[in-house]
Amino acid sequence: MTQPIIQLQNLTKTYRVPVRPEGLAASVKSLLRPQYTQVTAVQDISFSITPGEIVGLIGPNGAGKTTTLKMLSGLLHPSSGTASVAGHIPWQRHPTYLRSISMVMGNKSQMLWDIPPMDSFRVLAEIYAVPPAEFQRTLDELIDLLEMQDLLTKPVRNLSLGERMKCELVASLLHRPAVLFLDEPTLGLDVSMQLRLRRFLAEYNRRSHVSIILTSHYMADVLALCPRVILIHHGKLLYDGALDGLAHRLSPFKMLRLTLRTETTALPPFPPGVEITETAPSALTLRVPRLDTPAITAHLLQTLPVADLTVEDPPIEAVIDQVYSEGAA
Amino acid sequence: MIRSSLALIRGLWLSWLQYRSFFFILAFGWLIPPLIYLLVWSTAAGDQAIAGLTRGQFVAYYLVLILVNQATYAQTNWTVGDLIRYGQMNHILLRPIPPLSDALASEFAGKVVYLAFDLPLVALLALILRPELDFHINNGLAFIPALVLAWALRFFWGYWLALLAFWAARADALLALQDSLIFLLAGQVAPIALLPPAMQTLAKILPFRYMVAFPVEVLTGQVDPANLLPGFAIQAAWLAVAVLLSIVLWRSGLRRYTALGG
Repeated sequence: MTQPIIQLQNLTKTYRVPVRPEGLAASVKSLLRPQYTQVTAVQDISFSITPGEIVGLIGPNGAGKTTTLKMLSGLLHPSSGTASVAGHIPWQRHPTYLRSISMVMGNKSQMLWDIPPMDSFRVLAEIYAVPPAEFQRTLDELIDLLEMQDLLTKPVRNLSLGERMKCELVASLLHRPAVLFLDEPTLGLDVSMQLRLRRFLAEYNRRSHVSIILTSHYMADVLALCPRVILIHHGKLLYDGALDGLAHRLSPFKMLRLTLRTETTALPPFPPGVEITETAPSALTLRVPRLDTPAITAHLLQTLPVADLTVEDPPIEAVIDQVYSEGAA
Repeated sequence: MIRSSLALIRGLWLSWLQYRSFFFILAFGWLIPPLIYLLVWSTAAGDQAIAGLTRGQFVAYYLVLILVNQATYAQTNWTVGDLIRYGQMNHILLRPIPPLSDALASEFAGKVVYLAFDLPLVALLALILRPELDFHINNGLAFIPALVLAWALRFFWGYWLALLAFWAARADALLALQDSLIFLLAGQVAPIALLPPAMQTLAKILPFRYMVAFPVEVLTGQVDPANLLPGFAIQAAWLAVAVLLSIVLWRSGLRRYTALGG
C-alpha cells in the first residue's frame, strides 16, 4: 500500500455568520449588537488519497466541496481536525507546499487579462522558480496535449471561455505540481470542449501521476475521469468509493426492465411501491424498492408473459438527483 | 524573490502597454493640483518674497514637489483593498512568494512609468518658468534618503489603511482622507513655512509632511541644518509605526480571512 499523498482526519469547518433581520430598525439594532449563528460547512470529513489518483468530489451547491478544497489548498483554516497534503499542513502555506500544489477555479482566472498567455506563463515560471529548460519542456508538452499552439500570442481577453480554461490548466501545471485541485473546471464550457479537457486531464494524469481532486456538477466529467467519488451533502461525507457502487449504496430502488412475449395493453395491478417509469408495447421499465425486488420479480414472472428481465441500478444522474433533493436513504 | 519580483514587474509593464493612455492621463491628473499651486504662489510672490520665498523659489519648490509627489504616491494601496473585497487575494495566497512582492512590484513598475512621463514634462516647465534653486551637494545627498524614506512611509501608511478592508468593506475612504491630509499638511496647498503657526506645528508632528514635503524642503534648502537630523528621526519613527501596523494588521487580517473564506 502506497503512502497517501492527501490525508484528512475529522476535518471540520464552522463559519460564524451574522444574522441580519430585515427592516431598517432591526438593521440599526444589529449594527450595535450583532447576532451571529454558527454554520457548519464541513463536518468531520476523513479520507485519504494515494499518489496518482483522480477523485471526484461531488455534492449539491453549498454541500461543502469548495470549502474542503480551500482548506486543502491552504486558503482556509479548519475549525478542527487535521489534514496533510504532500507532507505539509496546507494552511501553514509553506512556500515548498505552495510549489507542490495547484488550484484551478473555473470561475476565477490567474491569467493576466491584457497580455498574451505566453507572457503570463513566463511570469509564473519565475514565480515558481521553474528552470528555463524544464519550463520549455513542460510548456511544449502541455501545449501539444491541449492543441493550443495558436492561442499563445493572443491577449487573454480575446480568448473564448474554453480557450481560457486551457490556458488556466497550463498555468497551473507549469511547475509540475504533485497535487491538483480543480474546482468546476468545465463550468460553462460547451460539450466538445468539456470532452477535450477531460481527455487532457486523463492523459496528463496517466503521464505525470499528479493526484487530482475534482469538483464538478457535470456527472459526465466524473464518469469519464474519476474511478472513485466522494459524495458530500450538508457538509457530511455520505459516500466514498467507486462510482458504480454509489447507486447500490444510496438508492433505495432498483430498475426492472421487462421484455414481453406478447404486446400487452392491459397491465395487471402491480404490488404497492412499484412505479412504472417507461412503457412500450412489449417492454416495460419499473422502479421498485430495493428490498422488495426478489418478491416483485417473482410476482411479475408469474403474472406477465416475460421474455426477458434485467435488474439494474438506476442511472447515476437519477441517484444523484435523489440524494441532492432528499438526502441519502 | 528578486527574480519573481522582476517577472511581476515585467508582466505589469506588458499589461500596461495595452492601455498606456490611461496611465498618462492618471499621471497628468496627479500633476495638475501642484501645478495650479505653483502658478498661484509664483504669481502671488511677483517681485517680492513671501515668507522668504521668491517667485523663482516657489517654482523650484513646486517642480521638485511634482516629482516627489509622483515618486512617493502609492497607487497600489487602492488595489490592495479591492483584492481583499473581491476575493482575489486567493491567487496571491496560493503563490509561493511573499504576498507583499505583488504590491512592491506594482509600486516599482508604476514609478518608472510615471516618472518617464513626468521628468520630461518638468524639464520643459523648468525651461519656461525659470526656477531658482540654490543647490548644495549636502542637500542633494540628504535628499536621497529623505525621498526613499518618504516613499516607504507613504506606502506603508497607505498599506495599513488598505488592510482594514479585511474588517470594513469601504476602507478606501480612509485612503481618500490620507490624500486630503497630504494635500493640506504635506506642502501641496502651500509650503509648510507658509501655514499658520498651529498648523505648522501639527504638520511637523504628524506623518504626512514626511511623505512629500520633507524631501522637497531638504533639496530646496528650506530645512535648517540643525533641523535635518530631527526631521529624519521623526520620518523614521513614523515609518517604523507604519511598518509595525502593516505587519500586525496583515497577520490578524489574514487569520480572519482564512477563518471566513474569501
